[in-house]
Amino acid sequence: MITLINLKILIKLLLILILPPVIGCILSGIDRKVTAHLQGRVGPPLLQPLYDVIKLFNKENIVVNKYQNVYVITYFIFVVLSLFMLLMKMDFLMIIFVYTIANTSLIVGGMSTGSPYSRIGSVRETISMLAYEPILLFYIIGMYMLTGSFKISKLAYTNKPLLYYLPLIFIAMLFIMTIKFKKSPFDFSTSHHAHQELVKGMFTEYSGPALAIIEVAHWYEYVFLLGLIFLFWYTSPIIGLILALITFFLEIVIDNICARLSWEWMLKFTWTIIIGLSIANILFIYLYNVKIL
Amino acid sequence: MEQIVLLLLLIPLIFSIVFIYSNKKLYKPLSFLMFFICSILSIFLAYKGSLSIRLTGQIFKISEGIITLSEILMILYLFKISVKHHKIGIFILTVIQTIITLFTIFTPDKSEILTVGIDKFSLAMLLIINIVGTLIVIFANGYISEYEHHHGIESKQKLFYPIICLFLSAMNGLVVSDSLSMVYFFWEITTITSFILISYNGDDEAYKSGFRALFLNLIGGICFGVGNILLKKMLDIDTLSGIIQHGSISLSLMLPVFLLCIAGFVKSAQMPFQSWLLGAMVAPTPVSALLHSSTMVKAGVYLIVKLSPAYAGTRLGTVIAIYGAFTFFICSAIAVAQRNAKRILAYSTIANLGLIICSAGIGTGVAVSAAIILIIFHAISKALLFLCTGQIEHTIGSRDIEDMTGLIRIAPVLSILTSFGIISMILPPFGVLVTKWMSIEAAGSNPFVASFLVLGSALTTLYYTKWLGSILAYPVTELKAQDKKDFCIFFPLWALGFGVLMTSIFITPIFNNFVSPEVNKLLKKSTDMYIKRGEVVSKLGTFNEAMVFIALGLVVLFVILMRRLMISSANIKSIYMCGENNFAEGENYFRSWNGKYEKAKVSNLYFDNILDEKALTTFGYVVSSSIIIICLLGGLK
Amino acid sequence: MAGISKNIMSKSPWVVHVNCNSCNGCDIEFLACLTPIYDAERLGIINVGTPKQADILVVTGSANYKNIDVLKNIYNQMPEPKVVVAVGACACTGGVFHSCYNVIGGIDEILPVDVYVPGCCPKPESIIDGLIEASRILEEKRIKIKNPDKGVAI
Ligand code: SF4
Repeated sequence: MITLINLKILIKLLLILILPPVIGCILSGIDRKVTAHLQGRVGPPLLQPLYDVIKLFNKENIVVNKYQNVYVITYFIFVVLSLFMLLMKMDFLMIIFVYTIANTSLIVGGMSTGSPYSRIGSVRETISMLAYEPILLFYIIGMYMLTGSFKISKLAYTNKPLLYYLPLIFIAMLFIMTIKFKKSPFDFSTSHHAHQELVKGMFTEYSGPALAIIEVAHWYEYVFLLGLIFLFWYTSPIIGLILALITFFLEIVIDNICARLSWEWMLKFTWTIIIGLSIANILFIYLYNVKIL
Repeated sequence: MEQIVLLLLLIPLIFSIVFIYSNKKLYKPLSFLMFFICSILSIFLAYKGSLSIRLTGQIFKISEGIITLSEILMILYLFKISVKHHKIGIFILTVIQTIITLFTIFTPDKSEILTVGIDKFSLAMLLIINIVGTLIVIFANGYISEYEHHHGIESKQKLFYPIICLFLSAMNGLVVSDSLSMVYFFWEITTITSFILISYNGDDEAYKSGFRALFLNLIGGICFGVGNILLKKMLDIDTLSGIIQHGSISLSLMLPVFLLCIAGFVKSAQMPFQSWLLGAMVAPTPVSALLHSSTMVKAGVYLIVKLSPAYAGTRLGTVIAIYGAFTFFICSAIAVAQRNAKRILAYSTIANLGLIICSAGIGTGVAVSAAIILIIFHAISKALLFLCTGQIEHTIGSRDIEDMTGLIRIAPVLSILTSFGIISMILPPFGVLVTKWMSIEAAGSNPFVASFLVLGSALTTLYYTKWLGSILAYPVTELKAQDKKDFCIFFPLWALGFGVLMTSIFITPIFNNFVSPEVNKLLKKSTDMYIKRGEVVSKLGTFNEAMVFIALGLVVLFVILMRRLMISSANIKSIYMCGENNFAEGENYFRSWNGKYEKAKVSNLYFDNILDEKALTTFGYVVSSSIIIICLLGGLK
Repeated sequence: MAGISKNIMSKSPWVVHVNCNSCNGCDIEFLACLTPIYDAERLGIINVGTPKQADILVVTGSANYKNIDVLKNIYNQMPEPKVVVAVGACACTGGVFHSCYNVIGGIDEILPVDVYVPGCCPKPESIIDGLIEASRILEEKRIKIKNPDKGVAI
């Protein structure tokens, strides 16, 4: 009996470790393909991200100092851990705090190389962290007020989707997804497209295997972020998945139709309108004392 | 048992006298001796558990006499300095204080009893004071001489050590006393010692800051005194345990409790009174670490937590929660625009004390536990950070966090300790963050409090990350300094760093032994939470500390396993400068358009124009003082 | 699956582009490769900003005394295996600037050039052709680095 349970957990663990990067890889392949089509190009093969990563692992490992890769490993492990916790339906607030470790590690890693470009990228990434962290926490508080618990597993006991009661927070989440996916209006901390001003932002000094690990971690992160959207319609997995996919395609479209904006603009916008929306939603729940559990 | 309590009060006093009469060479061994004696005594006491002593009859007479005598001496001292420095404000406050003292002495129906009550919370405080406090005294040995040399002031160490010892004794007294009159007495001693230590440098700025601290703390003291008298008059309570027994107090009788809370706000430098703590940063770093981060300011929140049974669940509790959360938010916002490391730490201290007060105000089991745990963890982490900052200042000659860029290159040990301190403030699995998690969860049902906490915590991450990044940045600047290895300096730093790690790992026994029983006693109900096998479990959610620690372990494992692949096989190349690197001048020089070599310089963002310190402070003053004034004028009823 | 472990390098050659005093003709043609008409990305080619992430160094323009250091620096900062492609007559030989007082000559005076793409300026098709050739050489170099003693030919 015990071994059976253990086997189950083991299989679950393996699935959690293996499936997300596959999904993430395909998603980012789709991203590139769709972007290419939107620009009237053919675009790379679907598995191009995978080819990139395999190539990067085969490259020489060059660094600026011996310690910069430690940050990458930390980033990778904590992204995986936060995704693991999300899939195990643990405490939502804890997940976000664990996720903060990953991001902080990446930022500090960028700064630690001492290169001016990566420092600029890191500083900008801290700004975007300042912009998105409150929204994530407001989302969690909204969920708590509705279900009376911070545990994601509690969502299973209700048959009303969160989206009904958190529409404004959903809009805010869409907004910060653009920041988190590092898509166009807000891809100022690191991107393939901003050579002139940033080179490659935070990751300027990373190459070879380290960059490959960052890329794989991004795949996990894609799934993690879409998982956050999925929770808005937890009651019916199919609709939840569709919601997540729609969000993803929306982000790709936004990426292609927007020009890069300055971080000042983003900060002002998030700290006034987006946070205002979130607080308004939470106040609504508080004043009308809405409960779904 | 009683003897140990008495010893904890007397030993620092004895050391204080010894320090006066010993010569300079003996300071070092004496500090180490004090560290060992005090920490062993406090650990022994903590092992023995709580107790309560009633002083009656002859002993009461003696202690009453000592207290009255010392109070008169203190008042005389206050009169002396106010006259000497022509401070009208201090003079007036002293007069008021004299009236209060006289009133308490000549009250007709005075109780003939003094109680000493040591509960779990007091024990935790005793441990902090006697271990962290004495470690800071050791640190001072390596620090003060150089400090005096730097600032060109004549040695006042003959004054410094005795006063610090006196202060430690007073703090010990404060947390063991149960009678409010005793608490008040020790409270006033900490005020005066803090004044002496802040004005340590003896120049104009030091005296200005010192008098500001004295002025505000005397106001707090007067609130305490008046609250004390009113509490006795209106509710016939004169001990802290009396408040616990009485339980929730009706709103019409809340005024004395609120006055005591104001005293706590002042001591903890909450918003309208915060200026004294910022001014106090002129004092030498050990003083800042000891008084203004780990012990004295904790006296304020200690009192507020102890008062929590009176206001838990009432409207006053909500107001206190909002007030604390507001301070947390606004001070975090101000800290973002700071470049001076000591000021960042000062604002962060105020913010964290605000968080403690907020949690106490929320008043549920989880929240009060969060407050108590945060007091413990914050004391250790902040002491570590303050001491590191002091040592960094001596290493590179600056407190500006931009100047610390590249510190890891010249002072690796110091930088790693500092980074560890910072990480323990903002990231799980370390204690401070776990408490932040607890307080946000506890605040979840009140959107006002929760919003402030959410915004404040995002800002906190920002300003600490900036600092962390600067310290760990590798090849940018060649700092001109040398890393000194002084045992007196690094022993306390290592000990505190180790303490942070150990307290975070062993959060379970700490919670079960110190926090949980205390909360049960204060709120007369269970904490609604427990910590088991590295999991903090409450009704609201679960924080799996063990998992995060395992992940940290995995990081270490991966780094070791992938050493060959990722780290040691790596080839070191210069940083990317569009190919225009100049290797002769230094790594971060590049060839400019005119063929000259220039230095690439990137700094962090400080938002000085948006988060202007003055404007935000004014805003904070307006909001926080209106909250307090409305409550005082009866807005609670 | 077998396809994945084969031709690892040639499936995603990332390019960094250095302009050594070119007249901008070649640069515009190189960038034209990335436009929808030629779409170099369908071959996995990405124009990256930093040499640390690049596999192919595309150089346009001739080598002169002022840019030797820059070129060497950038080449040095690229991780192995790496390939240099000289695009345009200037990069191949010095082109119309050949005997100028400040010009040393083609890029091969400074770096080991693997592929020459002649023309003033070369058409995007030929540049892409050069990049494909370069990625083949890249794969060869990778195999050589992996098994230093075996000289494997593809
Ligand atoms: S080859 Fe021709 S087009 Fe290219 S840089 Fe030289 S002159 Fe200009």
